[in-house]
Amino acid sequence: MYDEVGPSEMIVHLGPQHPMLPGPFRLNAKLRGETVVDSEVEMGWIHKGIEKILENKTYLQGITIVDRICYLAALTNEEAYVGCVEKLAGIEVPERAQYIRVIMEELSRIQSHLLGMGEYASFVGFVSMFMYTIKEREDLMSVIDSVTGARITHSFLRFGGVKDDLPEGFKEDVKYVFGNLRKAIDNYEELFSTDSIYKARTVGIGTLTAEVAKDIGVSGPPLRATGVAFDIRKDEPYLVYKDLDFKVCTQTAGDVFARVQVRLDEMRESMYIVEQCLDQIPSGPIFPEGTAYGRRSPVMRIPAGEVFHRVEDPRGEMGFYMVSDGSDKPYRVKIRGPVYPTLQALPPLLKGVPVADIVAIAGSMDTCTSEVDR
Amino acid sequence: MAEVEPVSTNNKDDMQEEIPGVMTTSTSAISDFLKKTKAQDIINWGRKNSLWFTVNAMGCCGVELLSTGMAHYDTDRFGIIPRNSPRHADVLIISGYVTKKYFPALKRIWDQMPAPKWVIAYGDCAISGGPFYESYSTRQNVDEVFPVDIYVPGCPPRCEALIQAFYELQKKIVAKKDKGTDY
Amino acid sequence: MDAKAMIDSLSSQFTGVIYDAQVESDIRILAKVKPESVKDICQYLKEKLSFGHLCCEFGVDYPERNEIEVVYVIGSYEHPVVLTLKAILPRDDPEVESVVPVYWNANWYERETYELFGVKYLDHPDLRPLVLPQDMLGEWPLRKDYKGFPNKTARNLV
Ligand code: SF4
Repeated sequence: MYDEVGPSEMIVHLGPQHPMLPGPFRLNAKLRGETVVDSEVEMGWIHKGIEKILENKTYLQGITIVDRICYLAALTNEEAYVGCVEKLAGIEVPERAQYIRVIMEELSRIQSHLLGMGEYASFVGFVSMFMYTIKEREDLMSVIDSVTGARITHSFLRFGGVKDDLPEGFKEDVKYVFGNLRKAIDNYEELFSTDSIYKARTVGIGTLTAEVAKDIGVSGPPLRATGVAFDIRKDEPYLVYKDLDFKVCTQTAGDVFARVQVRLDEMRESMYIVEQCLDQIPSGPIFPEGTAYGRRSPVMRIPAGEVFHRVEDPRGEMGFYMVSDGSDKPYRVKIRGPVYPTLQALPPLLKGVPVADIVAIAGSMDTCTSEVDR
Repeated sequence: MAEVEPVSTNNKDDMQEEIPGVMTTSTSAISDFLKKTKAQDIINWGRKNSLWFTVNAMGCCGVELLSTGMAHYDTDRFGIIPRNSPRHADVLIISGYVTKKYFPALKRIWDQMPAPKWVIAYGDCAISGGPFYESYSTRQNVDEVFPVDIYVPGCPPRCEALIQAFYELQKKIVAKKDKGTDY
Repeated sequence: MDAKAMIDSLSSQFTGVIYDAQVESDIRILAKVKPESVKDICQYLKEKLSFGHLCCEFGVDYPERNEIEVVYVIGSYEHPVVLTLKAILPRDDPEVESVVPVYWNANWYERETYELFGVKYLDHPDLRPLVLPQDMLGEWPLRKDYKGFPNKTARNLV
């Protein structure tokens, strides 16, 4: 990219600290006039070496570390990690614990979408929209907080169960918050679909076709916005998702507008899932009885083996590949984050767009840099 | 090339000799003088009530940083406003993991901020490396480089903790104990 | 086509190249490949068996066996089967063909494996370090015998 910079071209570096980037990464864009002719993403500004750290922690300690892979989807990261260990050790999760996990993960999906959407809206110029979404998110955070005891890094899941049961009055709290949230989401949708300036900036911008998206390896809302109904919750059901009634939200346009619309629909769908769970949740233990693995045993040996377990993150397919050698620490953990391919898709998408659209496209991808860097 | 004699400027003794009977002064002399008077108290009062901070969300703590500046916690009440450009900001909040690769960029952000400026180390990562203290890519002991005034422990600390950090910083500024200005 | 049929089709197409093929469950299959034919197999998987989605690609270091395994986890958008392919390389001089021409998103995975494990990818379009600063190249931090972990200063702190 740097080799042939023509006479009327220049290279603009966006980042690593840039208000319009959702985390520290750097986008080097080669411009000719107002048009991006080539671009390149530089990564690794917050590479933490989590994979190496996990190899040196016991399984239980690992839960706190995987929380910090992606700060908006801590619970789904835990689900993927804990699911790996459960598969390797053959631990059965009691039904109540499975329901609690689904509830918490869906709640955290909603809060992630709210923040991602608000951030994106402020990128395209709706700064006050960010305020609205954060306001709803705070209500939701306090509901999550009342169960897990933390706002962002929960360390809530355990092998075979969850840390705590749902508190008294949880159902009413959720009902109350969802009442407000439904109205709020309707408002956002109305705002998005009626504002002509917003539409001019998003409809038909950054279009990803289904073939290209599949080829690039994108998953999650950016893929579903192109019309491919790929969702791990349906294709490879984990927990109790196969007993629940929900649909995979898709759009066909594949542009910025469609991606945001998918997120709005998904929030509604998640609320529906949570409500079903709250109605169906059986009573019972939240930890398996009669297994070799105690509730909080700090040292547990896992049988040797290899497993790949994947779950549906707010941003797409989150997978863990775990190699165990029979000791109390994993031999190797590979984290496959959903944003890794999504961020890679930026340079081809940005080819030929005006500079002002860079942030709209990058924001609509809802990237989480922390997870790409790990 | 011939050696250039250093030209001494702003040297009080020289100047007084040059213009007899006239007392000249320099900007630093004025500020040195002001620091001893009530005027500095007034300046500090102004400074403490407009602590604008940079938004550079670097990690999980960065999300809490965003929420703090937004609707619910609303730090605008205290004159604490999130600014996107470091050139507008007074407070650098190190909000997350400082890696070997990011460290030069952070240093640059710090250099771009106009004085007077303060640093808040927000979260365990910024203080000591946090959960990643042993990692091969983490840069430890950032407080050797940045003059950190307030440390906020927690992983992540809550938004209220950040507001309290600002409150403590204000108290430090009023008491003239902060590291941002030399008294 | 179920998992069993897929692995049969694969091993009959590439006899001698695919070995140790296993069906772990209905949706997980496992096979080992000779490193020199990784690209051809990926091509076949993508075109004939609709394995169009590279989940991830990474290395695992085994110092006792003096081997580095490069693992490809390949899924699909059409069916839920996930295939794990393993290519075993010598630890002293790990070299394998790049699969970027087949799976476009392998680009970053390979760059990362290169800088963390030192696996050389032949014919990779742009083999540069991705996440580490340039001066850490050659330390291969994710190998098991890496000396810089835990971090030295941290030990003084604790
Ligand atoms: S202190 Fe904890 S929450 Fe904050 S950035 Fe570090 S790991 Fe994340």
